[in-house]
Amino acid sequence: MLRRVTLLILVMLLLALPALAQEATPEAAGTPAIAPQACEQPGSLTMWVWDENWAEVIGQAIEAWQADYCPGAEVDLQVQPWGQYWDLLKTNVAGGDMPDVFNMSQDRFYFYASNDALLDLQPYFDEAGVDTSLWGSGMIDPYRWGDNQDLYAGPVNWDTIAIFYNKDLFDAAGVEYPTAEWTWDDFAEAAAALTDPENDVYGAAVYAEYQSGYPNWIAATGTTPIVEAGRTRCTLTDEGSLEALNFLKGLYDEGYMPSVSVVGGTSPDDAFNFWLAGKVAMVAGGSWKLPEAIEKATFDWDVVQLPRNPETGRSRSIVHSVGYVASANTENPDLAANLILYLVSDEGQKFFADAGGVAPANPALQQQWIDSFGDAGVNIQTFVDALQDSQGVTVFDEIWDKINTELVVNIFDQGMSVEDAANDACEFINTQLPEQAQ
Amino acid sequence: MLTSFLNWFGRTPLTRRRALWGMALVAPNVLGLLFFFGIPVLMAFATSLQQWNAIKPPVFVGLENFMRLATDPAFWQALFNTLKLMAMVTWAEIVLALIVAVLLNQRLRGRAILRTVYFLPVVTSTVAAAIVWAWIFQPRYGLIGNLLAPFGLGDVGWLTSRDLVLHPIAAVTVWQRLGFDMVLFLAGLQTIPRVLYEAAIIDGANRWQRFRHVTLPLLSPTTFLVVVLSVINGFQIFDQVYIMTARTTRGGVGGSATTLAYFLYQSGFIRSEFGYASAIALVLFLITLGVTVLQLRLQRRWVYYEAGEQR
Repeated sequence: MLRRVTLLILVMLLLALPALAQEATPEAAGTPAIAPQACEQPGSLTMWVWDENWAEVIGQAIEAWQADYCPGAEVDLQVQPWGQYWDLLKTNVAGGDMPDVFNMSQDRFYFYASNDALLDLQPYFDEAGVDTSLWGSGMIDPYRWGDNQDLYAGPVNWDTIAIFYNKDLFDAAGVEYPTAEWTWDDFAEAAAALTDPENDVYGAAVYAEYQSGYPNWIAATGTTPIVEAGRTRCTLTDEGSLEALNFLKGLYDEGYMPSVSVVGGTSPDDAFNFWLAGKVAMVAGGSWKLPEAIEKATFDWDVVQLPRNPETGRSRSIVHSVGYVASANTENPDLAANLILYLVSDEGQKFFADAGGVAPANPALQQQWIDSFGDAGVNIQTFVDALQDSQGVTVFDEIWDKINTELVVNIFDQGMSVEDAANDACEFINTQLPEQAQ
Repeated sequence: MLTSFLNWFGRTPLTRRRALWGMALVAPNVLGLLFFFGIPVLMAFATSLQQWNAIKPPVFVGLENFMRLATDPAFWQALFNTLKLMAMVTWAEIVLALIVAVLLNQRLRGRAILRTVYFLPVVTSTVAAAIVWAWIFQPRYGLIGNLLAPFGLGDVGWLTSRDLVLHPIAAVTVWQRLGFDMVLFLAGLQTIPRVLYEAAIIDGANRWQRFRHVTLPLLSPTTFLVVVLSVINGFQIFDQVYIMTARTTRGGVGGSATTLAYFLYQSGFIRSEFGYASAIALVLFLITLGVTVLQLRLQRRWVYYEAGEQR
């Protein structure tokens, strides 16, 4: 779901830095953090998004942009479903027919940026007087490129990970609800107490996929999960990685966590559906899952921060931000940049904040986003808190299948030892790192 | 070569006119084939000699892609997986289709309905079917898991196991191809003259003998066609692998479910090596062509055409 969703990182940093936070607060009240500008000349653009719900929200934002800032502009907004989005994008790139503006995820950015396929947005942000540091580094650093580390994307949103837990199952097992201070040991204890083989109930399902799964636990040990930033080294065989994976495998071996086969897949959606069905008490899920949980869960539930590693005392979440990018070959670069500026501005992001889905990247709108869920009785602030000690995305497309499916299946389905599975993954990852790193 | 062409083209105005008409009538088809098949094949050939990631301009690298292919263990594994799948699929598909065709060739209540049922998978979208099959093979909650639970096999991860994953894929492929082969066999069975069966009965041949000595030989042209199609199809197995492993291993643990076509897809669309992917496509094409030519050669040994029917 990194992909579908996205991430967020940065906001956290903002909140974490008191100076910035102080700056942001008055802005939220008075002048906007990012103000849109009128376009110089209308024209036509094609735009791709991969999520239908987003398309609706973005469609409303585009209409407002057309009405208020760029009368006469035309945008052909197309939904290319996630399952074929990247294949289609590559095909269109090959055919010289890229959309002018489209959604990008951090793990895919490298390929397009390193091939000079994207428009440098930094000059446009500079000209509009946008201080890009307002997003915080986690959310946008993965979208920086080139000698000057220019920003090539406007962040759409962020998302972090927390534990969704089924209160009914906690009550039935007589286990106390977790708090933000809980540790891995508390988590293991709860998982054991909640597991009930007779009723086909598992304690936890928290290992699946990059953003929701085991990398969060590796990050909590202080190790950068999977690949060091800058693609210099595979970290899966580091001590912290082995500690985290062995901890999770211990829970799996004890029968507290279901296998990949039993859950039905390596996607965090599979684990989440399992949780919705009442078959597992605790699941790791992203903030993008809130609407679904609110709509579908038939039991009492809440969310809590990921448990803390006992040695480091840290609870860490992977954060991702989906970006808006423009094609380097677009015929209307100024117009494309103007649209992106609007979409990331306070005005444009308001549509996301009000829609109550994913959290808008713009730091001025966090409370509005939380409020959009109304009185759900759920501690949504948890996800914003998770931004404080979050881990940015360092992995990339080419190793995606290896780390998301193969490694997970090897350990949590085929019973391979953590050491063997990690060695196997690193061997492959090393072949995908830049030459100088090997 | 030239003489035979001239003979065919005709030396008299009448035959020549006829030949021209013939060519005019097939022209649309030939043009379509050239345009939508010939040109892409030529482009693939050109691309196979290049290094190209779809964005940057291609770089000519000669035969490098092919040399890399020869030493790439992933390629040999994909080839081996493909052959293994074909070994499982082809005979099962043909034997089962033949049995079903013979059974449904008799006067039988509900025959038309049964034929339709067997043919349904052919017209069902492979993607939709493969998604349902992936559920069926899900351990514990899937249909197969439930059926096998009494034997202690309820939790077998058919689609995640390195050793088992080709079996469900083969099973779904057979299920999907069966109906098409059955129709071909049914058509073939209709062409066998009844008099031959009557003569065999008079000669005292029992059911098995009639099947073995009348049906099988006279059906051999159809069988040949089915085998050739099945082998070609076998080299192209992709959808089943793509969909059935999409939610778990994407091509099997350690590439254990990766077929040549899936390997091609991975190289092109996941790793953005379109030159390398084109080289794979070309090799796949040559292998398929080679095997098909070989089959055409071998057909003389076992395919029986009725006298007067020159092919």
